[in-house]
Amino acid sequence: MKLIKHTYAHSAVWLIPAMVIGGLFCFFMIEWITYEETDEYLTYEMERLLNYHEQFDDLPDFHKVADIIPDLKFEKPFFKDTLLLEPGDNEMIPHRELWFSINHSGQDFTIVLRHLLIGQDDIIRGTLLIIAGIMLLIALFVLLMINTIAGKIWKPFYQTLYKLVNFKITDPLPDFPATRIDEFKSLNSTLEYLLKKITGDYKHNKEFNENIAHELQTHLAIIRANTEKLINQTDNTEKPHHELKRIYTSVTGLSQVQRSLLLLSKIRNREYHQHEDVDLQPIVEQALEIFAEAISLRGISVHRELAPCHLFMDAGLAGIMADNLVKNAVKHNIRDGFIKITLSPSALLIENKGLEFRGKPEALLDRFSTGKDSNAGSTGIGLSIVSQICELYNFRLSYTIKESIHCTAVFFGERKDNTISEY
Amino acid sequence: MKLLIVEDNLKLLEAITETLSSVHLLCETATNYPAAEEKVFLYHYDILVVDINLPGGTGLDLIRAVKKQTATTGIIVISARNSLDNKLEGFDLGADDYLTKPFDMAELTARIKSLIRRRNFNGNDTITKGNVSIETTGREVRIGGRKIELTKSEYDILLFFFSNPGRVLTRESIAEHIWGDHMDLADSFDFIYSHIKNLRKKITAAGGDDLLKAVYGIGYKLIVE
Repeated sequence: MKLIKHTYAHSAVWLIPAMVIGGLFCFFMIEWITYEETDEYLTYEMERLLNYHEQFDDLPDFHKVADIIPDLKFEKPFFKDTLLLEPGDNEMIPHRELWFSINHSGQDFTIVLRHLLIGQDDIIRGTLLIIAGIMLLIALFVLLMINTIAGKIWKPFYQTLYKLVNFKITDPLPDFPATRIDEFKSLNSTLEYLLKKITGDYKHNKEFNENIAHELQTHLAIIRANTEKLINQTDNTEKPHHELKRIYTSVTGLSQVQRSLLLLSKIRNREYHQHEDVDLQPIVEQALEIFAEAISLRGISVHRELAPCHLFMDAGLAGIMADNLVKNAVKHNIRDGFIKITLSPSALLIENKGLEFRGKPEALLDRFSTGKDSNAGSTGIGLSIVSQICELYNFRLSYTIKESIHCTAVFFGERKDNTISEY
Repeated sequence: MKLLIVEDNLKLLEAITETLSSVHLLCETATNYPAAEEKVFLYHYDILVVDINLPGGTGLDLIRAVKKQTATTGIIVISARNSLDNKLEGFDLGADDYLTKPFDMAELTARIKSLIRRRNFNGNDTITKGNVSIETTGREVRIGGRKIELTKSEYDILLFFFSNPGRVLTRESIAEHIWGDHMDLADSFDFIYSHIKNLRKKITAAGGDDLLKAVYGIGYKLIVE
């Protein structure tokens, strides 16, 4: 949900108590004013009657007198509410009465003045109309206000967000918009600091990888070349030959491990970001092709069910993933075993016959972890490369072993769409 | 046949030069970009072996310079960087082959010889050892004029030996030559053993000379008379 919609919703919620309190206030205010005005009118009328009586010893022709009760005397005039039936619409209507006493020719009379009050239903109706009108107006203005605020005050925030979302690690650092708002200023400076650190780390890591690659590989190449030379110079019956062989084998192994580690480090550093639409089907078929010879030499039968599977990822990494998975299935297979590969748009499943494995199969995804029964030449790094690629793309990788059947599965799942438009 | 080897590490440069000179290739060397650029500008080379990481510039720029000078020069890139980008860029610029460090000298020799054959610098695409000859354009192996059928891997292995006569080829080296990065298959050495066994059987059955000799515990070697 967008920030602006949240603001609307929250504002709307706060308008409800305002409406209730405002309604009650409005109701009592109108009621109070009605009483006030009626009482004032009745008091004036009483004074007029008293004055007239004093002057002419009679009551005026036109007056609001509702009742005259003889032989009743009250010390002080008082107000009283009463309900009277209105015969016109057969309804009880509230009235206000003012009771006061006069003395006429030695006899006491109590005069009752009466005036119509506004009914409560009328007040409620009026209150509702007023509140509805005001609320409508307020809502309109709040809407306009929030829009203007979001558009003007939050603009730097949206610009920052847009730049952040579209930022790629290889891009130059983005320029965040200048703003006079302290919070945004501190947000921008914190982001700048973090991005600087992240891109710096990325660059250092990348340089480190390249330096390691260059220095180590070059020296490994020298060791290999010279060992090779010595092997050719030495007669193979001489003793040093065995030592040379050991050096040579170790150097070859080291080169491979180092290459794999570098690859792992590069994947982890997210140096592969040529993301594109990749169809995994031909890539898996190609991987099977690479190992076709090994497969036929070991008498392994292959069952394949491959459907097109489109993924948005780096094509190179897709190849590395497929190669390593197929290789794993071939490598840990047995003579005359089988491989079953199923590729659907949502998952890649590889089942292969292998040796029984005791222990946690998940542990095999860790670097350098190999089964006890694994053959020589296995570095145990292939699956951790696959695991790293899966982590990068939010794929779920599972490795299970049921008796002697190993099953590796990669579930591609839904890719989150993290695009955002500039406000 | 004149080669220019550009590599900033002197020890590796020495190892490469020594190996290539031993197979009668004329090598000149440069250890940095300006020196290499000057040589390329002054002289003509048939093949350039170039490292990507060079002091004073990148090997990719050198490839551009060479291609401008003489478009026919064959180019082999050797690089520590195993990144695809570089590989593709190198091929785009006209590099003929790409080797990732560390590589075997036997592999480098084979690649250079293959490049020489492809460029047909000698006007000759047939290599003969004993009574066995390989015609590389048609990928055919003949024994005394009679063709024998080999699988792809057997052919590749035989050609690898023919490119490195008299040199011990380790099992690792052969495995890497055929399977590249995937040489660490559990029993790749067994596969090589059976490939070579089959290869020898096919050659001797057709009356060919048994040229391949096992070097105990290490690998094999093509005997040269």
